[in-house]
Amino acid sequence: MGNAAFDRKVLFFGGKGGVGKTTLAASVAIVSAERGARTLLVSTDPAHSTSDVLGLPLGNEPSEVLSNLWAVEIDPAQEVDRYIEQVKARIADSTPPRLAAEVERQIDIARVTPGADESAMFDRFTKILAELGSTYDRIVFDTAPLGHTLRLLSLPELMGTWIDGLIVRRKKVNVLGRMWRSVSGAAQGSSTDDDPVLSALQDRRQRFAAARDVMTDADQTGFVFVVIPEHLPVSETERSVEVLDRNSIPVSGVVVNQCYEGADRERRERESGYLERLRRRFSTHPIIELPRLEAEPHGLDGLRQLIATIPGDAFEG
Amino acid sequence: MGARTGRLTVPSTWRSRLKAAKDIYEEIYFAPYRSQIYRSYREQRDLFLIMTFSDMLGVPNPAAFYALELYPDLIEEFHQWHLRMGMDQAPEGGFRCC
Repeated sequence: MGNAAFDRKVLFFGGKGGVGKTTLAASVAIVSAERGARTLLVSTDPAHSTSDVLGLPLGNEPSEVLSNLWAVEIDPAQEVDRYIEQVKARIADSTPPRLAAEVERQIDIARVTPGADESAMFDRFTKILAELGSTYDRIVFDTAPLGHTLRLLSLPELMGTWIDGLIVRRKKVNVLGRMWRSVSGAAQGSSTDDDPVLSALQDRRQRFAAARDVMTDADQTGFVFVVIPEHLPVSETERSVEVLDRNSIPVSGVVVNQCYEGADRERRERESGYLERLRRRFSTHPIIELPRLEAEPHGLDGLRQLIATIPGDAFEG
Repeated sequence: MGARTGRLTVPSTWRSRLKAAKDIYEEIYFAPYRSQIYRSYREQRDLFLIMTFSDMLGVPNPAAFYALELYPDLIEEFHQWHLRMGMDQAPEGGFRCC
Protein backbone atom coordinates (compact mmCIF):
# COMPACT_ATOMS: atom_id res chain seq x y z
CA MET A 1 0.00 0.00 0.00
CA GLY A 2 1.19 3.51 -0.76
CA ASN A 3 1.05 6.61 1.35
CA ALA A 4 -2.37 7.66 -0.01
CA ALA A 5 -4.86 8.40 2.77
CA PHE A 6 -7.65 6.18 1.42
CA ASP A 7 -5.51 3.37 0.00
CA ARG A 8 -6.27 0.90 2.81
CA LYS A 9 -8.50 -2.16 3.00
CA VAL A 10 -9.99 -1.00 6.27
CA LEU A 11 -10.74 2.69 6.76
CA PHE A 12 -12.10 4.42 9.82
CA PHE A 13 -13.46 7.94 9.45
CA GLY A 14 -13.53 9.71 12.76
CA GLY A 15 -13.93 13.19 14.12
CA LYS A 16 -16.21 15.50 16.03
CA GLY A 17 -19.90 15.57 15.23
CA GLY A 18 -20.87 17.74 12.27
CA VAL A 19 -17.50 17.87 10.52
CA GLY A 20 -18.66 15.69 7.62
CA LYS A 21 -17.42 12.19 8.54
CA THR A 22 -20.49 10.44 7.22
CA THR A 23 -20.53 12.35 3.95
CA LEU A 24 -16.87 11.73 3.40
CA ALA A 25 -16.99 8.04 4.36
CA ALA A 26 -19.90 7.53 1.93
CA SER A 27 -18.03 9.36 -0.84
CA VAL A 28 -14.86 7.32 -0.38
CA ALA A 29 -16.92 4.11 -0.31
CA ILE A 30 -18.62 5.07 -3.60
CA VAL A 31 -15.28 5.77 -5.30
CA SER A 32 -13.89 2.50 -3.96
CA ALA A 33 -16.85 0.53 -5.35
CA GLU A 34 -16.65 2.30 -8.71
CA ARG A 35 -12.99 1.36 -8.93
CA GLY A 36 -14.03 -2.27 -8.68
CA ALA A 37 -13.52 -3.15 -5.00
CA ARG A 38 -16.41 -4.90 -3.24
CA THR A 39 -16.96 -2.29 -0.54
CA LEU A 40 -18.96 -2.29 2.66
CA LEU A 41 -19.85 1.01 4.30
CA VAL A 42 -20.55 0.54 8.00
CA SER A 43 -21.99 3.07 10.40
CA THR A 44 -21.13 2.41 14.04
CA ASP A 45 -22.66 5.66 15.26
CA PRO A 46 -25.82 4.80 17.23
CA ALA A 47 -27.29 8.07 15.93
CA HIS A 48 -27.06 6.91 12.32
CA SER A 49 -27.04 9.37 9.48
CA THR A 50 -25.58 7.25 6.67
CA SER A 51 -29.05 6.52 5.29
CA ASP A 52 -29.79 10.28 5.29
CA VAL A 53 -26.57 11.03 3.44
CA LEU A 54 -27.15 8.31 0.82
CA GLY A 55 -30.86 9.12 0.65
CA LEU A 56 -31.64 5.40 0.97
CA PRO A 57 -33.12 3.32 3.78
CA LEU A 58 -30.52 1.12 5.53
CA GLY A 59 -30.78 -1.49 8.24
CA ASN A 60 -28.84 -3.76 10.55
CA GLU A 61 -28.00 -6.11 7.64
CA PRO A 62 -25.96 -4.94 4.64
CA SER A 63 -28.07 -3.80 1.71
CA GLU A 64 -26.78 -3.21 -1.79
CA VAL A 65 -26.61 0.48 -2.60
CA LEU A 66 -24.81 0.44 -5.93
CA SER A 67 -23.01 -2.27 -7.81
CA ASN A 68 -20.09 -3.36 -5.57
CA LEU A 69 -21.31 -1.19 -2.69
CA TRP A 70 -23.19 -2.37 0.38
CA ALA A 71 -24.09 -0.35 3.45
CA VAL A 72 -25.16 -1.23 6.98
CA GLU A 73 -26.10 0.75 10.07
CA ILE A 74 -25.33 -1.36 13.12
CA ASP A 75 -28.17 -1.27 15.61
CA PRO A 76 -26.82 -2.08 19.10
CA ALA A 77 -30.26 -3.01 20.45
CA GLN A 78 -30.75 -5.60 17.71
CA GLU A 79 -27.25 -6.95 18.34
CA VAL A 80 -28.01 -7.36 22.05
CA ASP A 81 -31.20 -9.24 21.17
CA ARG A 82 -29.40 -11.46 18.71
CA TYR A 83 -26.73 -12.37 21.25
CA ILE A 84 -29.28 -13.09 23.94
CA GLU A 85 -31.26 -15.36 21.61
CA GLN A 86 -28.07 -17.32 20.84
CA VAL A 87 -27.36 -17.82 24.54
CA LYS A 88 -30.95 -18.89 25.16
CA ALA A 89 -30.82 -21.37 22.31
CA ARG A 90 -27.99 -23.14 24.11
CA ILE A 91 -29.83 -23.42 27.41
CA ALA A 92 -31.76 -26.48 26.27
CA ASP A 93 -28.53 -28.43 25.63
CA SER A 94 -26.55 -27.46 28.66
CA THR A 95 -28.80 -26.43 31.53
CA PRO A 96 -30.56 -28.86 33.86
CA PRO A 97 -34.31 -28.60 33.14
CA ARG A 98 -35.16 -27.57 36.72
CA LEU A 99 -32.99 -24.44 36.25
CA ALA A 100 -34.02 -23.53 32.70
CA ALA A 101 -36.81 -21.08 33.57
CA GLU A 102 -34.65 -19.18 36.06
CA VAL A 103 -31.75 -19.02 33.62
CA GLU A 104 -33.99 -17.56 30.91
CA ARG A 105 -35.20 -14.92 33.32
CA GLN A 106 -31.66 -14.00 34.31
CA ILE A 107 -30.55 -13.75 30.71
CA ASP A 108 -33.39 -11.37 29.95
CA ILE A 109 -32.21 -9.12 32.78
CA ALA A 110 -28.76 -8.99 31.15
CA ARG A 111 -30.32 -7.16 28.21
CA VAL A 112 -30.23 -3.95 30.22
CA THR A 113 -26.89 -4.34 32.03
CA PRO A 114 -24.48 -1.43 31.62
CA GLY A 115 -22.11 -1.99 28.75
CA ALA A 116 -24.41 -4.43 26.93
CA ASP A 117 -24.85 -2.15 23.90
CA GLU A 118 -21.16 -1.45 23.66
CA SER A 119 -20.22 -5.11 23.95
CA ALA A 120 -22.80 -6.19 21.40
CA MET A 121 -21.68 -3.45 19.00
CA PHE A 122 -18.09 -4.57 19.40
CA ASP A 123 -19.07 -8.19 18.81
CA ARG A 124 -20.68 -7.28 15.50
CA PHE A 125 -17.71 -5.12 14.63
CA THR A 126 -15.31 -8.07 14.98
CA LYS A 127 -17.63 -10.24 12.85
CA ILE A 128 -17.71 -7.61 10.10
CA LEU A 129 -13.93 -7.27 10.15
CA ALA A 130 -13.68 -11.04 9.75
CA GLU A 131 -15.46 -10.72 6.38
CA LEU A 132 -12.59 -8.71 4.93
CA GLY A 133 -10.98 -10.59 2.08
CA SER A 134 -13.84 -13.06 1.68
CA THR A 135 -17.06 -11.08 1.22
CA TYR A 136 -15.53 -7.60 0.89
CA ASP A 137 -12.33 -6.12 -0.48
CA ARG A 138 -12.68 -2.90 1.49
CA ILE A 139 -14.58 -1.93 4.62
CA VAL A 140 -15.21 1.73 5.38
CA PHE A 141 -16.32 2.57 8.90
CA ASP A 142 -18.21 5.74 9.56
CA THR A 143 -17.67 6.02 13.28
CA ALA A 144 -19.41 7.65 16.20
CA PRO A 145 -17.95 10.88 17.62
CA LEU A 146 -14.37 10.33 18.73
CA GLY A 147 -14.83 9.48 22.40
CA HIS A 148 -17.03 6.47 21.64
CA THR A 149 -14.86 5.33 18.79
CA LEU A 150 -11.60 5.48 20.68
CA ARG A 151 -13.23 3.37 23.34
CA LEU A 152 -14.48 0.87 20.75
CA LEU A 153 -11.04 0.63 19.18
CA SER A 154 -9.33 0.04 22.52
CA LEU A 155 -11.71 -2.77 23.51
CA PRO A 156 -9.82 -5.69 21.87
CA GLU A 157 -6.82 -4.98 24.06
CA LEU A 158 -8.86 -4.57 27.23
CA MET A 159 -11.14 -7.56 26.66
CA GLY A 160 -8.26 -9.70 25.42
CA THR A 161 -6.35 -9.28 28.67
CA TRP A 162 -9.41 -10.10 30.73
CA ILE A 163 -10.26 -13.20 28.72
CA ASP A 164 -6.63 -14.39 28.79
CA GLY A 165 -6.85 -14.34 32.58
CA LEU A 166 -10.04 -16.40 32.53
CA ILE A 167 -8.53 -18.94 30.15
CA VAL A 168 -5.53 -19.48 32.45
CA ARG A 169 -7.90 -20.01 35.39
CA ARG A 170 -10.16 -22.35 33.49
CA LYS A 171 -7.24 -24.51 32.37
CA LYS A 172 -6.15 -24.83 35.97
CA VAL A 173 -9.68 -25.92 36.94
CA ASN A 174 -9.59 -28.59 34.22
CA VAL A 175 -6.15 -29.89 35.24
CA LEU A 176 -7.29 -30.26 38.85
CA GLY A 177 -10.56 -31.82 37.69
CA ARG A 178 -8.63 -34.47 35.76
CA MET A 179 -6.37 -35.14 38.77
CA TRP A 180 -9.37 -35.44 41.02
CA ARG A 181 -11.11 -37.88 38.72
CA SER A 182 -8.02 -40.01 38.39
CA VAL A 183 -7.31 -40.30 42.15
CA SER A 184 -10.97 -40.81 43.02
CA GLY A 185 -11.43 -43.33 40.23
CA ALA A 186 -14.61 -41.55 39.20
CA ALA A 187 -15.97 -41.54 35.67
CA GLN A 188 -12.70 -42.09 33.85
CA GLY A 189 -14.59 -42.15 30.57
CA SER A 190 -16.06 -38.66 30.82
CA SER A 191 -13.23 -36.57 29.48
CA THR A 192 -13.31 -32.83 30.10
CA ASP A 193 -10.89 -32.10 27.30
CA ASP A 194 -13.89 -30.68 25.45
CA ASP A 195 -14.86 -28.24 28.19
CA PRO A 196 -17.52 -26.00 26.58
CA VAL A 197 -16.57 -23.07 28.84
CA LEU A 198 -12.93 -23.20 27.80
CA SER A 199 -13.73 -23.50 24.11
CA ALA A 200 -16.19 -20.57 24.29
CA LEU A 201 -13.47 -18.44 25.90
CA GLN A 202 -10.88 -19.51 23.36
CA ASP A 203 -13.19 -18.77 20.41
CA ARG A 204 -13.78 -15.31 21.73
CA ARG A 205 -10.10 -14.63 22.36
CA GLN A 206 -9.29 -15.81 18.87
CA ARG A 207 -11.87 -13.45 17.35
CA PHE A 208 -10.66 -10.45 19.38
CA ALA A 209 -7.06 -11.20 18.48
CA ALA A 210 -7.93 -11.42 14.77
CA ALA A 211 -9.73 -8.05 14.95
CA ARG A 212 -6.79 -6.50 16.73
CA ASP A 213 -4.32 -7.89 14.17
CA VAL A 214 -6.23 -6.21 11.36
CA MET A 215 -6.75 -2.94 13.25
CA THR A 216 -3.08 -2.51 14.10
CA ASP A 217 -1.74 -3.45 10.66
CA ALA A 218 -0.66 -0.21 8.98
CA ASP A 219 -0.58 -1.89 5.57
CA GLN A 220 -4.25 -2.83 5.77
CA THR A 221 -5.83 -0.29 8.07
CA GLY A 222 -5.96 3.48 8.31
CA PHE A 223 -7.75 5.89 10.59
CA VAL A 224 -8.69 9.11 8.80
CA PHE A 225 -9.32 12.17 10.93
CA VAL A 226 -11.97 14.48 9.58
CA VAL A 227 -11.74 18.04 10.90
CA ILE A 228 -12.91 21.49 10.01
CA PRO A 229 -10.44 24.35 10.44
CA GLU A 230 -11.73 25.52 13.82
CA HIS A 231 -10.37 25.49 17.33
CA LEU A 232 -12.33 22.63 18.95
CA PRO A 233 -12.07 20.02 16.17
CA VAL A 234 -8.35 20.67 15.70
CA SER A 235 -7.61 20.46 19.43
CA GLU A 236 -9.61 17.26 19.79
CA THR A 237 -7.78 15.68 16.86
CA GLU A 238 -4.40 16.52 18.40
CA ARG A 239 -5.45 14.76 21.60
CA SER A 240 -7.07 11.78 19.91
CA VAL A 241 -4.06 10.87 17.85
CA GLU A 242 -2.24 10.09 21.09
CA VAL A 243 -4.95 7.62 22.09
CA LEU A 244 -4.69 5.91 18.71
CA ASP A 245 -0.91 5.73 19.04
CA ARG A 246 -1.25 4.15 22.47
CA ASN A 247 -3.48 1.48 20.96
CA SER A 248 -1.18 1.05 17.92
CA ILE A 249 -3.92 2.02 15.49
CA PRO A 250 -2.34 3.54 12.38
CA VAL A 251 -3.45 6.95 11.12
CA SER A 252 -3.46 7.21 7.32
CA GLY A 253 -4.40 10.84 6.85
CA VAL A 254 -6.31 13.95 7.79
CA VAL A 255 -9.13 15.52 5.84
CA VAL A 256 -9.66 19.21 6.48
CA ASN A 257 -13.21 19.69 5.39
CA GLN A 258 -15.21 22.81 4.59
CA CYS A 259 -12.21 25.07 3.97
CA TYR A 260 -13.30 28.62 3.34
CA GLU A 261 -12.34 30.05 -0.02
CA GLY A 262 -14.29 33.30 0.02
CA ALA A 263 -13.25 36.93 0.19
CA ASP A 264 -13.07 37.35 4.00
CA ARG A 265 -9.31 37.65 4.50
CA GLU A 266 -9.38 37.49 8.27
CA ARG A 267 -11.23 34.20 8.17
CA ARG A 268 -8.86 32.73 5.61
CA GLU A 269 -5.88 33.64 7.79
CA ARG A 270 -7.48 32.14 10.87
CA GLU A 271 -8.15 28.89 9.01
CA SER A 272 -4.65 28.70 7.61
CA GLY A 273 -3.35 28.99 11.17
CA TYR A 274 -5.25 25.82 12.09
CA LEU A 275 -4.00 24.12 8.95
CA GLU A 276 -0.46 25.00 9.97
CA ARG A 277 -1.02 23.37 13.37
CA LEU A 278 -2.30 20.21 11.72
CA ARG A 279 0.63 20.11 9.29
CA ARG A 280 3.04 20.29 12.23
CA ARG A 281 1.24 17.55 14.14
CA PHE A 282 0.81 15.27 11.11
CA SER A 283 4.06 16.02 9.33
CA THR A 284 4.36 12.50 7.90
CA HIS A 285 0.71 12.05 6.93
CA PRO A 286 -1.15 13.26 3.87
CA ILE A 287 -3.45 16.20 4.61
CA ILE A 288 -6.34 16.64 2.21
CA GLU A 289 -8.06 20.02 2.05
CA LEU A 290 -11.61 20.09 0.73
CA PRO A 291 -13.56 23.25 -0.06
CA ARG A 292 -16.81 24.27 1.57
CA LEU A 293 -19.59 23.39 -0.87
CA GLU A 294 -22.47 25.71 -1.67
CA ALA A 295 -25.05 23.16 -0.59
CA GLU A 296 -24.70 20.37 1.93
CA PRO A 297 -24.19 17.27 -0.24
CA HIS A 298 -26.66 14.45 0.16
CA GLY A 299 -28.12 11.77 -2.03
CA LEU A 300 -25.95 9.96 -4.56
CA ASP A 301 -25.93 12.97 -6.93
CA GLY A 302 -25.00 15.40 -4.18
CA LEU A 303 -22.14 13.15 -3.11
CA ARG A 304 -20.75 13.20 -6.65
CA GLN A 305 -20.15 16.94 -6.29
CA LEU A 306 -18.07 16.27 -3.19
CA ILE A 307 -16.26 13.37 -4.85
CA ALA A 308 -15.25 15.70 -7.68
CA THR A 309 -13.34 17.86 -5.16
CA ILE A 310 -11.29 14.96 -3.72
CA PRO A 311 -7.83 14.77 -5.32
CA GLY A 312 -7.38 11.45 -7.15
CA ASP A 313 -4.04 10.74 -5.50
CA ALA A 314 -5.84 10.36 -2.15
CA PHE A 315 -7.02 6.96 -3.35
CA GLU A 316 -3.83 5.59 -4.83
CA GLY A 317 -0.43 6.98 -4.08
CA MET B 1 -9.46 -49.71 40.82
CA GLY B 2 -9.40 -52.34 43.53
CA ALA B 3 -8.17 -50.03 46.25
CA ARG B 4 -11.47 -49.62 48.04
CA THR B 5 -12.76 -53.15 47.72
CA GLY B 6 -9.42 -54.70 48.77
CA ARG B 7 -10.25 -54.44 52.45
CA LEU B 8 -13.54 -56.26 52.13
CA THR B 9 -12.40 -59.41 50.32
CA VAL B 10 -10.92 -62.28 52.26
CA PRO B 11 -7.46 -62.99 50.96
CA SER B 12 -6.94 -66.71 50.41
CA THR B 13 -3.50 -66.88 48.93
CA TRP B 14 -0.19 -65.33 49.74
CA ARG B 15 -0.27 -63.33 46.56
CA SER B 16 -3.69 -61.83 47.22
CA ARG B 17 -2.72 -61.05 50.81
CA LEU B 18 0.20 -59.06 49.57
CA LYS B 19 -2.05 -57.22 47.17
CA ALA B 20 -4.52 -56.42 49.95
CA ALA B 21 -1.68 -55.03 52.05
CA LYS B 22 -0.54 -52.91 49.14
CA ASP B 23 -4.08 -51.59 48.60
CA ILE B 24 -4.41 -50.65 52.25
CA TYR B 25 -1.06 -48.91 52.16
CA GLU B 26 -2.08 -47.00 49.04
CA GLU B 27 -5.37 -46.02 50.59
CA ILE B 28 -3.63 -44.62 53.67
CA TYR B 29 -1.16 -42.83 51.47
CA PHE B 30 -3.73 -41.40 49.04
CA ALA B 31 -6.56 -40.40 51.35
CA PRO B 32 -5.13 -37.05 52.52
CA TYR B 33 -3.70 -36.40 49.08
CA ARG B 34 -7.06 -37.04 47.51
CA SER B 35 -8.95 -34.65 49.75
CA GLN B 36 -6.30 -32.04 49.16
CA ILE B 37 -6.75 -32.37 45.40
CA TYR B 38 -10.49 -32.12 45.81
CA ARG B 39 -10.15 -28.98 47.92
CA SER B 40 -7.90 -27.29 45.36
CA TYR B 41 -10.20 -28.34 42.55
CA ARG B 42 -13.17 -26.80 44.37
CA GLU B 43 -11.26 -23.62 45.22
CA GLN B 44 -10.16 -23.11 41.64
CA ARG B 45 -13.69 -23.65 40.40
CA ASP B 46 -15.02 -21.08 42.87
CA LEU B 47 -12.32 -18.60 41.89
CA PHE B 48 -13.19 -19.04 38.24
CA LEU B 49 -16.86 -18.41 38.95
CA ILE B 50 -16.07 -15.29 40.95
CA MET B 51 -13.82 -13.91 38.21
CA THR B 52 -16.32 -14.65 35.47
CA PHE B 53 -19.30 -13.16 37.26
CA SER B 54 -17.50 -10.59 39.41
CA ASP B 55 -19.92 -7.85 38.35
CA MET B 56 -22.64 -9.67 40.25
CA LEU B 57 -20.59 -9.15 43.39
CA GLY B 58 -20.22 -5.48 42.56
CA VAL B 59 -16.69 -5.75 41.13
CA PRO B 60 -16.51 -4.25 37.63
CA ASN B 61 -15.89 -6.74 34.85
CA PRO B 62 -15.17 -5.33 31.40
CA ALA B 63 -16.36 -8.54 29.74
CA ALA B 64 -19.51 -8.98 31.84
CA PHE B 65 -21.75 -9.13 28.80
CA TYR B 66 -19.69 -11.87 27.19
CA ALA B 67 -19.77 -13.88 30.42
CA LEU B 68 -23.44 -14.40 29.66
CA GLU B 69 -22.62 -17.02 27.02
CA LEU B 70 -20.88 -19.09 29.73
CA TYR B 71 -23.89 -18.88 31.98
CA PRO B 72 -25.77 -21.98 30.72
CA ASP B 73 -22.65 -24.12 31.22
CA LEU B 74 -21.80 -22.74 34.65
CA ILE B 75 -25.17 -22.52 36.34
CA GLU B 76 -24.94 -25.97 37.90
CA GLU B 77 -21.52 -25.14 39.37
CA PHE B 78 -22.90 -21.92 40.73
CA HIS B 79 -25.82 -23.72 42.32
CA GLN B 80 -23.41 -26.07 44.14
CA TRP B 81 -21.30 -23.13 45.23
CA HIS B 82 -24.05 -21.21 47.02
CA LEU B 83 -25.31 -24.38 48.71
CA ARG B 84 -21.78 -25.03 49.95
CA MET B 85 -21.51 -21.44 51.17
CA GLY B 86 -24.54 -22.06 53.38
CA MET B 87 -27.07 -20.17 51.26
CA ASP B 88 -30.21 -22.19 50.51
CA GLN B 89 -31.20 -19.71 47.83
CA ALA B 90 -29.04 -17.96 45.28
CA PRO B 91 -27.92 -14.55 46.57
CA GLU B 92 -30.30 -11.71 45.82
CA GLY B 93 -29.68 -9.47 42.86
CA GLY B 94 -27.11 -11.60 41.09
CA PHE B 95 -26.72 -14.91 39.37
CA ARG B 96 -29.96 -16.84 39.94
CA CYS B 97 -30.31 -20.56 39.72
CA CYS B 98 -33.06 -21.57 42.11
